[in-house]
Amino acid sequence: MPKQITDSYRGLRQYIIIILLVAAAIPLAVIGGSIYYEYRASVREKVTTQLKSIVTHHKESIESFLQEITAAMRVATHLKPLDKIAQTEVLQNVFHSLQREYKHAFEDLGVIDSKGAHLAYIGAYDLLGKNYSDAAWFKEVMDKRVFISDVFLGYRQVPHFVIAVKEGEGKGAWILRATVDAARFGTVVENVRLGHTGEAFIVNKEGYYETRPRMAGDILEKIEPGSLDLAPFDGVKFWEVKDKNGQKVLRAKTWMKDNNWLLIVKQDVDEAFAEVYKTRNMAIALFVIGALLVAVVTFFTTRVLVRKIEKADEQKRALDEQLIESAKLASIGELSAGIAHEINNPLAIIGQEAGWMQDLLKRDDLKGIKEMDDFKDSLREIARQAGQCKEITHKLLSFARKTESVIKNVNINELIEDVIGIVEREAAVNNIEIVRQYDEPLPLIYGDPAQLRQVFLNLLNNATDALKRGGEIKIETGTGEDDSISIKVSDTGVGMPKEILTKIFDPFFTTKPQRKGTGLGLSICHGIIEELGGDITVASQVGKGTTFTINLPLEQKRGET
Amino acid sequence: MPKPRILIVDDEERFVTTLAKRLIERELEVVVGVYSGKEAIEEVRNNTYDVIILDVKMPGLDGVETLREMKKIDPGIEVIMLTGHASVDSAVEGMRLGAYEYLMKPCEIDELMEKINGAYELKTARDERIRQAEVRKMVDRRPG
Ligand SMILES: [Mg+2]
Repeated sequence: MPKQITDSYRGLRQYIIIILLVAAAIPLAVIGGSIYYEYRASVREKVTTQLKSIVTHHKESIESFLQEITAAMRVATHLKPLDKIAQTEVLQNVFHSLQREYKHAFEDLGVIDSKGAHLAYIGAYDLLGKNYSDAAWFKEVMDKRVFISDVFLGYRQVPHFVIAVKEGEGKGAWILRATVDAARFGTVVENVRLGHTGEAFIVNKEGYYETRPRMAGDILEKIEPGSLDLAPFDGVKFWEVKDKNGQKVLRAKTWMKDNNWLLIVKQDVDEAFAEVYKTRNMAIALFVIGALLVAVVTFFTTRVLVRKIEKADEQKRALDEQLIESAKLASIGELSAGIAHEINNPLAIIGQEAGWMQDLLKRDDLKGIKEMDDFKDSLREIARQAGQCKEITHKLLSFARKTESVIKNVNINELIEDVIGIVEREAAVNNIEIVRQYDEPLPLIYGDPAQLRQVFLNLLNNATDALKRGGEIKIETGTGEDDSISIKVSDTGVGMPKEILTKIFDPFFTTKPQRKGTGLGLSICHGIIEELGGDITVASQVGKGTTFTINLPLEQKRGET
Repeated sequence: MPKPRILIVDDEERFVTTLAKRLIERELEVVVGVYSGKEAIEEVRNNTYDVIILDVKMPGLDGVETLREMKKIDPGIEVIMLTGHASVDSAVEGMRLGAYEYLMKPCEIDELMEKINGAYELKTARDERIRQAEVRKMVDRRPG
């Protein structure tokens, strides 16, 4: 097959494959992608809600712890008047009962008057006599009646914070001040566990850790500068940031204790969305597998498809060749007929003139001519050759003509038997055996018996010529495909090479010696069989023999005449 | 025996003249040749002929048309058509219009003579019957 045609099939195949793959991949990707994003959004929603609820819950529990302690101290200040509580024994009792109540959460306890002087103190420091009148917390508690400090490291190097409550008004006002172990609420926060990377911590408004963070930094250390926005707000905020390692982190935060402490809960995005990523990877795997499957199916389907197209094209080409061949024969036929007709008139005149001269030579007064015999011989030859030419033109015309032949029911077996009768004697002389293999009874066909006889006579004559040293001619008849009958005439003769086979039905083509054949026999056969709607084909092998196969339809198809 | 009066019609002049000479050589009477259908019709209108030898393929008026016109003028006229192979269909058409026979060109003189004689015999036999019928008619009309 020419390279150009092979290329065009390859191009067609590639085109189909690409189109099908794109057509399959786009919906696959759209469906997979949209499901993935829906799923991701719903998981994000879940994670957000979880973080927000942790923040809210812990804010409430820390605030209630602070309120509880404050309330307990408030009860103590209500129950004990200043003069009593300023006594060390009474303060000791209060301290012990608070310790009992709150499991030794208190480090120390002191009483301070309205001037800022320490009146009584239970604890590790020697704070008696110290004046707090200039301290910021003293001013605040005097103003707001309650003060809760940020966390600091106390005497035992344990994080603590201060709670102070004011009792009374004016000059008689006094303050109960306690240092409380921050671990009480710190552990609540520090124990928040969200997978491996989740944690909660508190920073104050200056950006110092109030609890011990799990991941980075320590209590009372300053946070990474700029890593947190410390502007106060109401409610809960949720956002996503990249930490210094480039790790994406989800964070929820809320302010508490009058915008002094910021509670933060965070978790790495990778962990929060681990399930999502797993699902995404599975979706990608499914997509790839699906796409591969589609690709394989497409590849093989396309290959089968293109092969079929190729085959159909090949058949079409073969058919086209046949059509071109038929058209060629037809046009050669028409041309020949035209020429034959033109030659006919001059031939008629030549014959007439020769005849006239022969007539003249018969006259009595010409009897004495010496060269009479030469004249007569010459004229006879002219007449004979003109007759030969006439023969050729008539054969040509009968090859081309479209006559109203006598169409009737023909029994092919009988007809062939008639023809064999004509050639049998000559065949026997040449040592040729004729083998008959008739299918009986054979359906009748429509045809012109005279023309069909001419066809078989031609074929048998050709076969006889091919068997110069004797041999076998075999004639087979039988029913063929599509309501037709087939006749095979084969000989065991010299055979023909392929170059000759392709030209065998062309007019004037002959392999016989000069003057023996006109080269019209097989083209006439071809014309007759085609006229009857049949076909004639030839197969041959040099040295082995030749087979002519004729197919004739039972119903005649002559649309073209 | 009287000899047939022959008219040869063919567009090939040389064919007509030579054929005429050969027919005269065979002692046929009054052989006239014309070279077209039109001339032939004129000739038949003005003179009496027994047998016409008519070429089918001619320019202008063709053989079949010429035959049709001639038969209108003289239905008793006998026509032998000369045809090339390709015009056999026209020859068959001519036979339907009442031609006696057709021959393929080029044809043997002996064959042509045979057909001429056959055509003439047919014509004379028919003319004889017509003559006898006319005689009977005249006899029948005679009173008594
Ligand atoms: Mg002519």
